[in-house]
Amino acid sequence: MWSGNLKTALASLRSAKWRSLLTMLGIIIGVSSVVTVVSLGEGLKQQVVGQIHTLGSDVLTVRPGKLVSDGSARQSLNLLAFLSTSTLSEQDVLTVSKLPQVSTAVPINFVTNSAAGGEQQLDNVSVLGTDAQLNDLLRPKMDSGAFFTPENANDDVAVIGSTIAAHLYNGSNPLGHPISILGRDFIIHGVLAPSAGGLVTIQQSDLNSTVFLPFGPAKNLVDNRTNISQILIKAKPGVNPDTAVAEIRKVLLQNRGGSEDFSVLKQQQLLELTGKVVNKATGFVTGLAAVALLVGGIGVMDIMLVSVSERTREIGIRKAIGATNRQILSQFLTEGLVVTIGGGFIGILVSLMIFGFLRLYTGLEPVINVSVMILAVSVSIAVGIVFSVVPALKAARKHPIDALRG
Amino acid sequence: MALIELREVSKLFGFGEATTLALDEADLTVEKGEFLAIMGPSGCGKTTLMNIIGLLDRPTHGIYLIDGKDASRLRPNRQAKLRRDRIGFVFQFYNLLPRLNVLNNVALPLAYRGMTPVRRLKRASDMLELVGLRDREYFFPKQLSGGQIQRAAIARALINNPSIIIADEPTGNLDSHDSKVLMELLADIHRQGNTILMVTHNPELTRYASRVIYMRDGTIVEDESTSIGAVAKGALRTYLRKRKTTEEDVLAGVSALLKDVPGKAMAKGPKKRLPKKIFKKRSRRRARRKVRH
Repeated sequence: MWSGNLKTALASLRSAKWRSLLTMLGIIIGVSSVVTVVSLGEGLKQQVVGQIHTLGSDVLTVRPGKLVSDGSARQSLNLLAFLSTSTLSEQDVLTVSKLPQVSTAVPINFVTNSAAGGEQQLDNVSVLGTDAQLNDLLRPKMDSGAFFTPENANDDVAVIGSTIAAHLYNGSNPLGHPISILGRDFIIHGVLAPSAGGLVTIQQSDLNSTVFLPFGPAKNLVDNRTNISQILIKAKPGVNPDTAVAEIRKVLLQNRGGSEDFSVLKQQQLLELTGKVVNKATGFVTGLAAVALLVGGIGVMDIMLVSVSERTREIGIRKAIGATNRQILSQFLTEGLVVTIGGGFIGILVSLMIFGFLRLYTGLEPVINVSVMILAVSVSIAVGIVFSVVPALKAARKHPIDALRG
Repeated sequence: MALIELREVSKLFGFGEATTLALDEADLTVEKGEFLAIMGPSGCGKTTLMNIIGLLDRPTHGIYLIDGKDASRLRPNRQAKLRRDRIGFVFQFYNLLPRLNVLNNVALPLAYRGMTPVRRLKRASDMLELVGLRDREYFFPKQLSGGQIQRAAIARALINNPSIIIADEPTGNLDSHDSKVLMELLADIHRQGNTILMVTHNPELTRYASRVIYMRDGTIVEDESTSIGAVAKGALRTYLRKRKTTEEDVLAGVSALLKDVPGKAMAKGPKKRLPKKIFKKRSRRRARRKVRH
């Protein structure tokens, strides 16, 4: 019976191709937006996990802005903190590095997002000013050359990621060649090996498209102004990270006369915070997608009602030759389900295509999430059932003789 | 026990002033193996009677028994199953599903019985062989002639081996050759012991029937057993009825029925009072009487 229903449903959808496609569109938009957004969020989370992986879990981070507002019973994420100007200074780095619990403190100074070299101009890179000690923290694998050392602190040298190397000096070894940042040439000192990790800065970045400059020359580039997006801190071995966090917080508070516009985070907290941001954004867009699905569902119901009244005579004939109400009901339910499940699958395909474009043209790395796809398909099944039931019932309850006359 | 038994079955349509009485306390008993032809003018209730016997419609009053069991008060799903297993329909307008090919159309009742596709298609194919359409199995209804479609419809009606076959003017849309082929087919089916109820306007077709009933205004006015092969006497009467209108009347648009009605109707002019309305008024009066009872 089910295979018969499926055949009938497909035949009836084929007979009105455009109508079926437009009906599916609402479902397609809803499903593809949910899958895309959730996968993007998942990608963001994984980037953070990647950073933790790169840095090791004992590294602490100081970030500008108070990300977690407490005082209320429940801690909540303060999104305004992301908009505030960084007040982290070189002085802060110095103070923190002098603490007995701290072995290294490295500033990450976000300079710009464009770089040029050879004949190429790149504008989706992270140019970061930092100290040579970052090498101890990151321990990055080098493809060629080496990370700059404390002796290079005042030299115009740069360490570049593998993607940049590939773009600027396609194939040839870029070592010793210049890379131009804001009009000044830096000599390429080392090239990082391709890696999955990244540093979560203002802009989401991966190490492959990052340029590291020594802190001093980087600062000189922008009139000695700094924009420290984070301070990476490695605690001494054996120090309880919570004690270290408390001490760092104390000295930073002293530096700014007691006003707290920074956050000291353990890696785990960073992950949780990113999770919170992602969940907020995901929740919002999921809400929008739910509206799209609702509208799509109403579209399905509308078309099904039209289909039922168009096929009144067919229903009459089927009843005359012995179809029960339940059999007619399941026939029309199947038809609605074919539309919505089809829409769900096409929606997933569309979101996979969107992922392709995002990977090609932006730095975003969506992570394909199977559970989200399963959810999307089951939601489209639910929409199909909910919005086809009324038309299908209408069809099933038609009086055979009235239907035959219709 | 009679196969079909109707006791004082009435059917009313509409409400209040607009009520019409389509069937007026009709009594009918049909035994297994009969070929019953039902004749009468348009609007006399033939189709309503067929719809009630075919369980497509419910009587307003009265009882309808199949094999001695009340079938008219069953729940819709029970009726659907009874239709599926015991009744086969042949309609004037064929009523095959245009999107299915002939084979699938014929096999459809078996699908509703839950038979597997292989078995039901095999059986449908055999049935099409019986009506001489084996070579048209994969054609769609619109690719066939009226006679072929109607034969396919008969195959569909027979596929569940029903005890009652209801044919509502099966030759209404066929030319004389196709009509003959179709009627021979029905006669064959009758000879195999099936019960057939057929509505017709064509007196010639009473040759195939073993019994003819005549209806007027919702009641059965005459019930006649005939020998197969001869046109029924009652049918012959309508066949040979003397024309009451002259050629001039026809040109003036006056029908024989209008000439029967008292002069008052004529005085008001033929166009305002159509014969159908007169019938309706009469049946309305009857309906009112019924309601009062």
